[in-house]
Amino acid sequence: MTTNPAIEARQLRKTYTTTRGVFRRERVERAALRGVDLKIAKGELFGLLGPNGAGKTTMVKIFTTLLLPASGTALVLGLDAVKDQWALRKRIGFVFGGERGLYWRLSGLDNLRYFADLYRVPPEVSRRRIPELLERLDLAGREKDRVELYSRGMKQRLHLARGLLNDPEVLFLDEPTIGLDPVGARELRVIVRELADAGKTVFLTTHYMFEADAICDRLAVIRDGVIVAEGTPSSIKTLVHDQGIVEFEVVGMPVERLAGLRSLPGVRSVAISEHELAQVVTVHCARPADVMTRLGVILDGIKLEKVSSREPTLEDAYVQLIGENPTNSEASP
Amino acid sequence: MGTPGVAVTGLARAAFSAFRVSIRLRVISPWAYLNWLVFPVLFAAVGLYVLSSPGAASSHVVYGVLGGGLIGYWSVAYLEGGNGIQEERWNGTLEQIFATPTPLWVILLGKICGGLLFGLLAFLPTAAFAYVGFHAVLPALDGGRFVISLGVLTLSFFCIALTLTPLFALWRWAFSMLNGFELGVYVLCGFMFPVAVLAPWAQGVAGFLAPTWAVRALYASTLAEGPHNFATWWLATIGLSLAYLAGAYFLYALVERRARMSGQLALA
Ligand SMILES: Nc1ncnc2c1ncn2[C@@H]1O[C@H](COP(=O)(O)OP(=O)(O)OP(=O)(O)O)[C@@H](O)[C@H]1O
Ligand SMILES: [Mg+2]
Repeated sequence: MTTNPAIEARQLRKTYTTTRGVFRRERVERAALRGVDLKIAKGELFGLLGPNGAGKTTMVKIFTTLLLPASGTALVLGLDAVKDQWALRKRIGFVFGGERGLYWRLSGLDNLRYFADLYRVPPEVSRRRIPELLERLDLAGREKDRVELYSRGMKQRLHLARGLLNDPEVLFLDEPTIGLDPVGARELRVIVRELADAGKTVFLTTHYMFEADAICDRLAVIRDGVIVAEGTPSSIKTLVHDQGIVEFEVVGMPVERLAGLRSLPGVRSVAISEHELAQVVTVHCARPADVMTRLGVILDGIKLEKVSSREPTLEDAYVQLIGENPTNSEASP
Repeated sequence: MGTPGVAVTGLARAAFSAFRVSIRLRVISPWAYLNWLVFPVLFAAVGLYVLSSPGAASSHVVYGVLGGGLIGYWSVAYLEGGNGIQEERWNGTLEQIFATPTPLWVILLGKICGGLLFGLLAFLPTAAFAYVGFHAVLPALDGGRFVISLGVLTLSFFCIALTLTPLFALWRWAFSMLNGFELGVYVLCGFMFPVAVLAPWAQGVAGFLAPTWAVRALYASTLAEGPHNFATWWLATIGLSLAYLAGAYFLYALVERRARMSGQLALA
């Protein structure tokens, strides 16, 4: 690729300094980002996954010029998020999940008009764009209602409309579906996907695996301020490629018959447990589909019930990545 | 991108939009009118009735009439800065407006103008009512000088609010001193009684507060007896106000940096 990345982090670090105690004040330093390198191409829908406190919001805030890094470089559209904040703010949009950040006593329309002016969108443009956004985000008809009367999903869509007022080239979304019902969350994901398909670069944080799996072109997993994995959803799944599962029930099978299963290529372990009268056999393997086709041959003559298989999911990969020797940033100062 | 002219128009529009929103947020219900229209006039009527009883010294009466109005004006104007910022913080909008391409001071300028307008709306009906209903208490009113003094006073309120507001954005402890400072200003600047009755050190402090001189001019414009140094008083207020603005310039730069270091704006 010869074009510049839309978003780039080089050895990005951030440490928060806070004080605690009333009479004996002590300064506490907390590292939120510890040397992050990232490159996100133009038009990409990039997902940043990580547990609570991993540093996702911190990263988004640095890119959106709300925070200064302790060291390292954060570039968006080639502009330095530290020094070129005024030029950058015009060209990006951001949406933080949750209900805050809107004027609840004003109408949705008034909120949008105000922010359009603050984003210095020329009035002739905003007169056209605001109705388009209302239509697009399914708020048309309710725009004159006060925001406090909106449902959570409507507030979130209004947030997104606000983030799109300046027709940003890069959009940052920090847990945009938090608190939405499954239908609302899906609708929002569809819109986000469409935005990326229309050419916008989207940087999304989430801790929902399926969300990242469903819409992201590429993702990174962050833990304790360090990127621990990066790639397409499927490439990240290969990290746990041997964690597929085949499960079935049998009644009164001699244990020796399982030896054949154990020797199949890609099989990691075979476990057996009693369940009422039956035995439940769980096979951990790389390619559940292969194991399924061989089952009939190996266990010829035995009646198998409730056969099921599960491919490794992004969640398995995530749990493995996050679970590995956790240092628990939340607990330590 | 764009010529300076376009940039200035954009900033002016942003400030005006902030002004409009600050007004909208205030008049969200008809009951809001009670606060800045009905109550002040009511209080003024009661106060005037009491004070205008035979035997009251005319300067007391003037302080009674204008003092109440001034306190109302000052607290509305000033609170817009402090409370306004705190409200934005609670709403989570402080961080949102901070991240727009419009500098914070432009937004606050608009909001503060909204506060001043409401403060004036509280003050003017009261003063007008006093003048029309109890003309006898303001017999020597010099209309022209009164209006200029009020304008100069307004400028000083504007500059103080614009200077102090970034402090509230940055340091939440500043917010806890809000009321103390509000009270301090109307005691020290002679809203309710002449500065001359204060202790010498307090008079010294008062001299550095821009409104002191404009308030003095305002009262003088209602009284026939001198001395009247209007030009000096007005210039003192204007000079001090501009000095505050110079300080504000550095404060805003500091806020911009500090806020981005600590991530404080997001905190409730
Ligand atoms: N303003 C702040 N002052 C001090 N520490 C902070 C501040 N904001 C975040 N932190 C700390 O920095 C670390 C990273 O926080 P951050 O909000 O970036 O995590 P996150 O990945 O967004 O978490 P979540 O999923 O809970 O939103 C955490 O340990 C957090 O406690
Ligand atoms: Mg977060």
